[in-house]
Amino acid sequence: MQKHINRVVPPNSAISVQDLTKHFILMHRGGSLKRELLGAVKKMRGGTSREEFTALNDVSFEVPHGQTVAVIGRNGSGKSTLLGIIARVYRPTHGVAILQGRTDEPARIAPLLALDAGFHPDLTGLENIEFYGSVLGMSSAYIKSRAKEIIEFAELEEKIDTQMRGWNDGAKLRLGFSIAVHTEPDILLVDEVLAVGDESFQNKCYRLIAEMQKQGKTILFVSHDLAVVERVASRIIWLNKGVIQMDGPTHEVMDAYRKASEVPAE
Amino acid sequence: MAENLKELWRFRDLLRQLIRRELKVRYKNSVLGFAWSIVPPLLQVFVYTFFIRSVSTGTMSAGAYMLCGVIPWTFMTTATLDASQSLLINFPIIKKVYLPREIIPLAIVISNLIHFILGWTVFFGVYLIVMPLIGKGGIHASIQWLWFPVITLVAVLFVTGVSLWSAALNVFYDDVKFIIQTSFNLLLLLLPVFIPADVIRYTAFVSHHTWVFTLYMLLPPAAIMEGYRKTLLQPIPRGSYNNPHLVPLYMNWPTFIGSSLICVFIFWSGLTYFNYRKWQFVERP
Repeated sequence: MQKHINRVVPPNSAISVQDLTKHFILMHRGGSLKRELLGAVKKMRGGTSREEFTALNDVSFEVPHGQTVAVIGRNGSGKSTLLGIIARVYRPTHGVAILQGRTDEPARIAPLLALDAGFHPDLTGLENIEFYGSVLGMSSAYIKSRAKEIIEFAELEEKIDTQMRGWNDGAKLRLGFSIAVHTEPDILLVDEVLAVGDESFQNKCYRLIAEMQKQGKTILFVSHDLAVVERVASRIIWLNKGVIQMDGPTHEVMDAYRKASEVPAE
Repeated sequence: MAENLKELWRFRDLLRQLIRRELKVRYKNSVLGFAWSIVPPLLQVFVYTFFIRSVSTGTMSAGAYMLCGVIPWTFMTTATLDASQSLLINFPIIKKVYLPREIIPLAIVISNLIHFILGWTVFFGVYLIVMPLIGKGGIHASIQWLWFPVITLVAVLFVTGVSLWSAALNVFYDDVKFIIQTSFNLLLLLLPVFIPADVIRYTAFVSHHTWVFTLYMLLPPAAIMEGYRKTLLQPIPRGSYNNPHLVPLYMNWPTFIGSSLICVFIFWSGLTYFNYRKWQFVERP
């Protein structure tokens, strides 16, 4: 568990990010024992073998329950790192990211980051649903009871009993998306995955997201697609080189962001 | 440690799924499917029972003595090797979703433990039922067999500890897999896998330096294999293995307990190192 000493979280906050800083250590090649030993020798001689890189620098914000927030910014601005820390994949160097459910129960989060990551090619779609569901923290009994809906939503009734080896990427992504949204999360984390499937499936995704917004779910998503951001989000956090450049209502931030990234020729 | 257990309990369904996937995927594209799990131990037991008789003396075949080494050895080596690759294989998941990372090598150890238990089941089936039926010397149950779960527990602690070490190290150092493979080849000759430790005890050198033997028996794999041999089987007949000086050895509990403590330490240090490293896996350069 993370230490929350002296941290006060506003009661209506779903996501509370406080003084978040993340350093990564860069090494120019993959590790091997030999290189490590050589590195140690180098260090003794006064050289350094590693370099630090600050992905996020003292970032703080609160997301109240039921809000849909988009995080935008250029490549390398720290968007994905921020989502990774909130999803508990990375541990912050300083600061905390605290998630709160509406009740006393711990918040359920569904991370929608590269949706086909948990699938095994040798298992059938149905077996993979069970497996991926438990990766997302659901009980086998629960996931079994939702399997029909998941398959229907992903439009995969025909091949669900075949090995995933032969599936196309679109089908895999649709299934991953469908599993993640059927976990009944309090907080949905989305990383550039709304571009899944064909147009009709995308429209279905938007309808589902609108439905979840109506139900009062909190959604935090990262996207380069400004049209999507305008359509879905009510607030934008604009990250630039690891710090918050601007944080406000969608149209205000969008105007400033467009101005900043405008190409003179246009 | 308490934190680890709490998280594992919370993710127990995932642990079950991982073990199931491990068992399923291994033989997924084969016609016999899960039946393949029973084939290697069957073959193992039959080969050692019916084809190896050159050193057989007394009432029991040498096969039983060998299997008490080979079955644990297979468990220890496959679990460690599988575990060393496990985090890299599951890297796409680890990079995207939170789960207690120790669950991955743990699932490997448990799925191999299931194969290990299957191996022993075949062993007991053959030596308690089949061998007496065909009139060959089987083995006889004794009160000593009550130690079987204790020795197995020590083996599981040892294997889990080594697996946690190898899984965590292999993420950062590609050399680990090769070091493990090479040392297994060496250890296969050094450890009492095929021959009982008695033979080593009565070589000329060790006879004159018995402290070497004590050290040798403190090695966890040696202690575990000999533990099974000495508690499940009769003592080796005097003068076996073409060595007229050979006097049967009995279970040496003090060295076994010493070795068990070493296993506890390996388990504890493996878990500590894994916990220390586990947040760095996703950030590996």
